[in-house]
Amino acid sequence: MDKIVVNKLDLFYGDQQALNNIGIAMKERSVTALIGPSGCGKSTFLRTLNRMQDLIPSVKIMGQVKIDGQDIYAAGTDVVLLRKKVGMVFQNPNPFPKSVFENVAYGPRIHGETDKKKLSEIVETSLKDAALWNEVKDRLHESALGLSGGQQQRLCIARLLAVGPEILLMDEPTSALDPISTMKIEELISELKDKYTIIIVTHNMHQASRVSDRTAFFLSGDLIEEDVTSVLFTRPAKKKTEDYISGRFG
Amino acid sequence: MKAHQADRFATIMLWIGSLAIVAILIAFLTLILGRGLPHLTSEFFNGPDGVRGQLFNSFYILFLSLVLSLPVGLGAGIYMAEYAPKNKFTDLIRLSTESLASVPSIVFGLFGMIVFVNMFGLGFTILGGSATLALLNLPILVRVTEESLRAVPRSYREASLALGATMWQTLRKVILPTALPGLITGITLVAGRALGETAILIFTAGMNVSRIPFDVNPLAAGETLAVHLFAVKSNPLPGTNADQIADGTAALLIIMVIVFNICLTLPSRWLQRRQLGRNKV
Amino acid sequence: MPTRQKFDHELEELRVNILEMGNLVNQQIALAVSSLINQNLELANSIVVKDLDLNDLQAIIEEKCILLIATQQPFARDLRKLVAGFKISIYLERMGDLSVDLAKVTIRIGQDELIKPLVDIPRMSALVQEMINIGLKAYVDEDCGAAAEMALMDDEIDKIYSGVFGELRTIMMEDPNKVTQANYLLFASRFLERLGDYCTNIAEEIVYICNGKRMDLNE
Repeated sequence: MDKIVVNKLDLFYGDQQALNNIGIAMKERSVTALIGPSGCGKSTFLRTLNRMQDLIPSVKIMGQVKIDGQDIYAAGTDVVLLRKKVGMVFQNPNPFPKSVFENVAYGPRIHGETDKKKLSEIVETSLKDAALWNEVKDRLHESALGLSGGQQQRLCIARLLAVGPEILLMDEPTSALDPISTMKIEELISELKDKYTIIIVTHNMHQASRVSDRTAFFLSGDLIEEDVTSVLFTRPAKKKTEDYISGRFG
Repeated sequence: MKAHQADRFATIMLWIGSLAIVAILIAFLTLILGRGLPHLTSEFFNGPDGVRGQLFNSFYILFLSLVLSLPVGLGAGIYMAEYAPKNKFTDLIRLSTESLASVPSIVFGLFGMIVFVNMFGLGFTILGGSATLALLNLPILVRVTEESLRAVPRSYREASLALGATMWQTLRKVILPTALPGLITGITLVAGRALGETAILIFTAGMNVSRIPFDVNPLAAGETLAVHLFAVKSNPLPGTNADQIADGTAALLIIMVIVFNICLTLPSRWLQRRQLGRNKV
Repeated sequence: MPTRQKFDHELEELRVNILEMGNLVNQQIALAVSSLINQNLELANSIVVKDLDLNDLQAIIEEKCILLIATQQPFARDLRKLVAGFKISIYLERMGDLSVDLAKVTIRIGQDELIKPLVDIPRMSALVQEMINIGLKAYVDEDCGAAAEMALMDDEIDKIYSGVFGELRTIMMEDPNKVTQANYLLFASRFLERLGDYCTNIAEEIVYICNGKRMDLNE
């Protein structure tokens, strides 16, 4: 079933058009990778899905983004609820300067959970789901900033899982990590796929080819091609896609 | 080789500079404390010319001025950092606060005298003094608050908002705790200024001390320690040992500032540690 | 600015190696059939020796493909070129082996008188060589159409092969003394038929390079 359906989406920064008539559908419990050169609009597009783009002044968005059939840009949409459902992992691991426990408990707390026992349970399951529990179970009350980069990123994923999202947006989640940490995150993505709909922006085409079910190629604000990953990377239909993925750009 | 020599030269110069600072500080402390400490007797505080009243007034005025300036200063700073759109108007506000921050304090004193002492007809009062001090410190507070909040990485905000937190929750639970050390530094700066200020207070709080010990009436006149030091030195009363009182007062002022800083810094460190969790890297 | 010049250069080198190998195979087949017709044992022996060069060349191509896949991590057409190039080199190496098998038929028959004039075997060989020539050109041009056309020629070879098969069977049934040599000749034509099949496989690889589609041209 299609979890996200985007229709005729245009986005402007002031007068500058950054997304041009984007149309794409993403299936439930699948991984979609967004690739393209810097400034092609892939991150911008990702941020329209949880309305993080709204935070930037002078952004104008037209068209439809439907999640579970609901247009998230319709008047009266509760952005807080939307972001609870559509979580985001950022390029650089950004744990809060708090303890590991408090980082994960942050989301549930702001959404009104006060029961200590319940919070502990949520923290434990989330850390387990993010494949971090074994590494941090003895240092839950130490600063999250003392973890390694890869651990921090998995902590951010745990923090996200703790609020019970359905869709995970990942904005180049491994670009600041070493290869081993990258592989751990990729492994995690393929595990999380069973429960969540994942959309990942990546500069690393091999990562896209490894982790995703479908891949979408963006170029200067246009969605050039979107297809099953194995097809897109072996026999793309468009010349522009071919040139980009084979590194013969421009 | 030239670059290497220049590098060594620069290192040595910087090292000498830092050493000079420490040396000056030590010289300063030994001189002032050495001269003043022996006079800090019970008589010095409670005697007929004792400074108990001034000591109390110093803290009382500091307290009142913080009460008046903190909510406004922090509020405005937070607004400027987090909510204000970037446009001509907010640029103007920023320029104004910066200009105000560099106005000589005696001009503020004059302003306070015109407004509180004369226009409101309060005469020399602790309230007038505190209010004028608050005005003096407001621009600095606004700036320090704004800067400390801006120093909090954008990524924290994004993370919090992306988890579905509101702006207010993000501010309260993430931004302010992270900015706390900066804010504390700002408050310490402002407080130090308040403790040491004379020009403003001479014009607004006067040079008299209430006869009632620990008089909390804000409408009484209230000479502070710094003002007292100025008064004793510039216009020694006959029959008193003005020099000794001055030395003692100076030493007392320094001790006050040190104690005050420690009182603010230690709890904030503790608070931060609690926030951060044990930091065993 | 053109990117990946080094990679492009290496892909070009790979293509040159494959062409070299193709031409060598073509030559081996021609010589093998010639040795058979002329009952030239010396020539036949030289073919067996020459096959070692082909094996070396194949090893070089294989190594190059692996290295480029590992170091350049190709996608799309680059990836297809490497995978197809790898497979083509294997097909060519097998074709080399088949020409050795042909030469061995020459050696087995030795100086015995031929039981029949060889007509169909040279025809098959000519067809195979033409397929190789067209195939190599289609590979260089990445010409999907030419590759598909070339695959059609295999039908002709198959047709000749079934003719030869019937003819030799009749000979064997009529005269038991001719069974041994007839068997050798049957093998030879079978080898040529197999060569035609490998040409078709190569055509499939060329189509794969062109459009990424796997199609069965052996039908």
